[in-house]
Amino acid sequence: MTQTTPEPGVDTGVGSRRSRVGAAGKVLGQLRHVADRPHGGCAHVAVHRSTRPHARITSIDVSEAAALDGVEGVVTGADLYKVLGDRMFTGPAFSDQPPLAVDRVRYVGEPVVAVLARDVATAREAAELVYVEYEDLEPIYDVADALAERAFVHDALRPSVVFGDLRHLSGKTETNIAYQYNLKLGDPESAATQGTSVGFEFWAPPVHHVPIELPATIGWVEADRLELYSTTQTPSYVRQSVADMLGLPLSHVRIRVAPLGGSFGSKMYDRLEPLIAALAWLHRREVRMVASREEAFLLTTRHGAGVISSMSADADGNLTSAIADVRYDTGAYADVGPRITAKSGMIAAGPYKIPNVAIRSRCIYTNKPSAGPFRGFGVPQVTWSHETLIDELARARGEDPAGFRRRNLLREGDESYMGTVMHSADFVGCLDAVTEAIGWDKPLDRGSGRWRRGRGVAVGIKAVLTPTVANAVLQLNQDGSATLMISTVDMGQGSDTIMPQIVAEVLSMDAERIRVVAVDTDVTPYDTITAGSRSTYHTGNAVRGVAERMRERLVDLAAKRAGGSSRDLKLTADGVLNTASGEVYRISELIHEHFGARGATLTEEFNYTTSWQPYDKETGRSAKATEHWFAGAVAVQLLVDRWTGRVRVEHLVVAGDVGRAINPTLVEQQLAGSAIMGLGHALFDELVFDQGQMLNSTLLDYQLPSVKDLPGKLTPIIIESPHATGPFGAKGVGETGIIPIAPAVANAVRDAVGVRITRLPLSPERVLQAMDEAGVEK
Amino acid sequence: MKPPLHQPTSLAEACELLDTLEETMVYGGGTAIQILIKQGVLFAGNLVDLSRVPGLAEIEETAEGLRVGPMTTLRRMETSEVVRRRVPLAAQTYGHVANPRVRNTASVGGNIAHGDYRLDPPTALLVLGARVELTSVRGTRTVPIRDFFVDFQVTAVEPGELITALHIPAAPAGNSSTFVKMSSLGENDWPAASVAAQVDAERRTLRLGLGALAHVPRYVEVPLDGGGVDAAVAAATAAVEPELDPIPDVRGSADYKRKLGLVATEDAVRRAWEEAR
Amino acid sequence: MKSYQAIRTAPAPDSAVVRGPGEVAVRLRVNGETRTMSVEPRVSLLDALRDRLELTGTKKGCNQGACGACTVWVDRRRVLACLTLAISCENREVATIEGLAEGDTLHPMQQAFLDADAFQCGYCTPGQLMSAVALLAEGHAGDDAEIREWMSGNICRCAAYPHIRAAIRRVRDEQGGSGAAD
Repeated sequence: MTQTTPEPGVDTGVGSRRSRVGAAGKVLGQLRHVADRPHGGCAHVAVHRSTRPHARITSIDVSEAAALDGVEGVVTGADLYKVLGDRMFTGPAFSDQPPLAVDRVRYVGEPVVAVLARDVATAREAAELVYVEYEDLEPIYDVADALAERAFVHDALRPSVVFGDLRHLSGKTETNIAYQYNLKLGDPESAATQGTSVGFEFWAPPVHHVPIELPATIGWVEADRLELYSTTQTPSYVRQSVADMLGLPLSHVRIRVAPLGGSFGSKMYDRLEPLIAALAWLHRREVRMVASREEAFLLTTRHGAGVISSMSADADGNLTSAIADVRYDTGAYADVGPRITAKSGMIAAGPYKIPNVAIRSRCIYTNKPSAGPFRGFGVPQVTWSHETLIDELARARGEDPAGFRRRNLLREGDESYMGTVMHSADFVGCLDAVTEAIGWDKPLDRGSGRWRRGRGVAVGIKAVLTPTVANAVLQLNQDGSATLMISTVDMGQGSDTIMPQIVAEVLSMDAERIRVVAVDTDVTPYDTITAGSRSTYHTGNAVRGVAERMRERLVDLAAKRAGGSSRDLKLTADGVLNTASGEVYRISELIHEHFGARGATLTEEFNYTTSWQPYDKETGRSAKATEHWFAGAVAVQLLVDRWTGRVRVEHLVVAGDVGRAINPTLVEQQLAGSAIMGLGHALFDELVFDQGQMLNSTLLDYQLPSVKDLPGKLTPIIIESPHATGPFGAKGVGETGIIPIAPAVANAVRDAVGVRITRLPLSPERVLQAMDEAGVEK
Repeated sequence: MKPPLHQPTSLAEACELLDTLEETMVYGGGTAIQILIKQGVLFAGNLVDLSRVPGLAEIEETAEGLRVGPMTTLRRMETSEVVRRRVPLAAQTYGHVANPRVRNTASVGGNIAHGDYRLDPPTALLVLGARVELTSVRGTRTVPIRDFFVDFQVTAVEPGELITALHIPAAPAGNSSTFVKMSSLGENDWPAASVAAQVDAERRTLRLGLGALAHVPRYVEVPLDGGGVDAAVAAATAAVEPELDPIPDVRGSADYKRKLGLVATEDAVRRAWEEAR
Repeated sequence: MKSYQAIRTAPAPDSAVVRGPGEVAVRLRVNGETRTMSVEPRVSLLDALRDRLELTGTKKGCNQGACGACTVWVDRRRVLACLTLAISCENREVATIEGLAEGDTLHPMQQAFLDADAFQCGYCTPGQLMSAVALLAEGHAGDDAEIREWMSGNICRCAAYPHIRAAIRRVRDEQGGSGAAD
């Protein structure tokens, strides 16, 4: 096999471009995903779904479905409630989501009845034979409906008992606002009356993640234990959620995960797992569900968000005030919306020094499919606002938009308006890198006739998820190879590739000799989630920590062998070296001698937990809102077809400060990949709803960037401003690239044809319409 | 639906099956039918598969042009030497359908029988004045393609009939033609407007086929009175405008698609004109 | 008014084979091996490969012919297995990702994908590879514009497109030119 195994002596440590782990399996078609597990003999699940956006269930007739040949069981929400009671309502922030609707449906497509059958076709046929009668309730289609408070999606709020900061919301009635975050600094209203101000109303529509792998969950019972094999980024969360729901000890729930075929936030928290767990547990049967593409669209979405905002600067060009009212449409169930609302709300004025800031950020229920995490965690929606405002403010002042940003950007050591001091977030470095690469200061041929050319830039900021917990267990095998146990899920970002690089760097060994164990909650230790670009830093630190402990252990063993202190001992590629005597103790010998056995293993573990300071109740500020920051910038050069409104991106430059690139190839892939996904959001990606009904939930209609939509040139740039406490200075990169894309594109369109568009996406129709309204000559 | 698949081995058998079975649907390449089945909107009691009927996948060169069997793949229309030589506009247009995987499967007959208003090939076939040969137990008849698309996803194919050939006249000597396809969202998306255009050697007549711009593909013939390309564009857009009646959807409003249709028309006329030089 | 010509073929005795609607025996040639299975006529080649033959290298992404993850070859031409009936592939040669390497030797395109890191999650990779190899055989890899046109329809949500293109370019250059036309 021609798998690329580095030659002895080839560096596979931190900073190397080591090739991706598991790559051979990918090109050979041997990589097994969850849905590839053989399924002879199991029951297949299909779901009957609500046809109403908001209604009371008055009756359910399952007799025809149950009578169909091949059907093993038909289960309603009421059936589950009888057994599980209120425990059947789950969710990461609010316990509001049932696996099957009980009494009431809250969106078109909500699961109402589950059918178990011998094959998928029979299960789906039976699901169509279920008849449900409804009594319609007033539907809430959007945030405007919700805030009018004529009707309520939930009778009372049900925040999860786990979170103290949500306790005050418990039982609150007559509201569609699940959660509200406020930030107040200085006096933004009066500051805005001086100097120059701009203000707009923005809209970023709901979009979908569409990983090409479909969500799949298989569940079965072994004696008194429940096992799930599932497509999830959050195995530790799912174990807790399912254990809570079924009233089982954590030891009796096992979650296993195969590498994911992409996820981007879609396979997190409670998706298919609660339903499959409940069905498997109640029927004592192996049950399996692979969502169809249409069903996958219903499982979660990215929050559509409106922002009403303004920004002001004084005569010297210093920002004086920012005001933002942010409204996240979280759909029928809160999911992690409340967390998104705060984390993104707190930086809704961007990465700038601003003395007066007011932000209100609300998570709002509507009768639509639940919105949850999506690469960027709500930040792209507020970036759309602040990076448009600052661009327009620069133009209003007659200033270069890049230079204006540069003057006002937060720098190392600055305390931001949300109260946290900036460290290792090189906004200026990112901005300078992208403007240089795009030739910002060089003259631009603006085109003539039909096609006009423009350039735009934007900067992004995001906080890493804090507080979180990461654990790592390392077994060093007697032969000098190693086994690493972490619960980070590899879904294409490459964690299985870079974590061994960290171990290799610490232990001076070849990363190819380190295997990462597939996530299995029976074996791999607790890890909060694989999301929010947190793993490189958090799990990376746990991995570095465990490797360092292992190094100390080896040195101790060598000291014991040498019969003295560890003072002159140092771990090298050949073993533990006594720098005084030149003697080398080989690892295989040290371990063999220690245990007196071949094949023995040395085991170490390490925990890395970050903490935060909760937001001040009055001001919303925090001296430590986050463990660290992501900084990124994008510059684009594009053409606008003034006849059709179509935008063609000629060059896209994306820079991200990753602290230190553990594997530059993988970092570049993440930067470029997230930029291309973001380009879709900028130009055409959008979930369209009509009266609560998704209109384009198939890939025949839903738009994803194809190879044809690539920019003419795409330049990813790695910025390294090492983080003091990152593993070798590193932090994550999965979201950095996507955050500033849409405003950079819109700013370039503004530059090219003079129109300012504040609603995404910048479809040709919207661009043309804006040009028509502005009276732009064609 | 769980329809059985009938696999006749002769044309006569196929016609008999279509005559006697209930709720039949002809299964050609199957790409469109597969999508309809999966969307749960195909209601067929019986599928009649033409893959074992001999002689339905042939491209014959005839005196007037080509006779194309209905089971010919779109990909063959795109790559076949004789198609490229006799009707280059058809080869070009078939080469724009979806992507090569679909073109390797989808059939010429199924493509037009589907009657979708957005398909690319009808635009070229309208311009070229193709004729559709329909066969049933009652015999064979021929319908001009310009009369073939009756209404939204309704064609001139009667119950019991199947498409047995497409007759495409060779493009007249000295003409020039092109096909223009515009999407409104992703570049790889269905067209929001497409136009096939052909100008004859004498520059007397402009023939246009419009796709995705009304509930059926539309044909527009524009007489020219000897002006230059700008006059031809003006005449073409004036003639096309009243024919535009696009369906609004996620790809754009009717108003936007109308605008796009006029731009596509202008692009197609100018390119065809340039080709002629 | 319709006018009919006499039908050209005389009616033949009823020799048509009716298959289904229940399961029928279908014999396929897959990666050079003859495989027999029992499926309903409505079953797609994709489901037959994955569920009956346990050839799970061919992936399901949309089941509607829009993502390209299930690209396989039938008689050396790339098709979408989700839009092809298994029964319609009788007596034809089906090739999947599992048959692309020759024993332990990777196909040059597989090697190029490895070397160029032409994926992230790898889920779309089998489909990308089956398309990329076919693209060269079709003679459509002349330049980036051609690759762009002819690789469209294989969606990579991780968007490793620049790396996929680099891999295709490399194999094209090693083979000299844009490959043979089909």
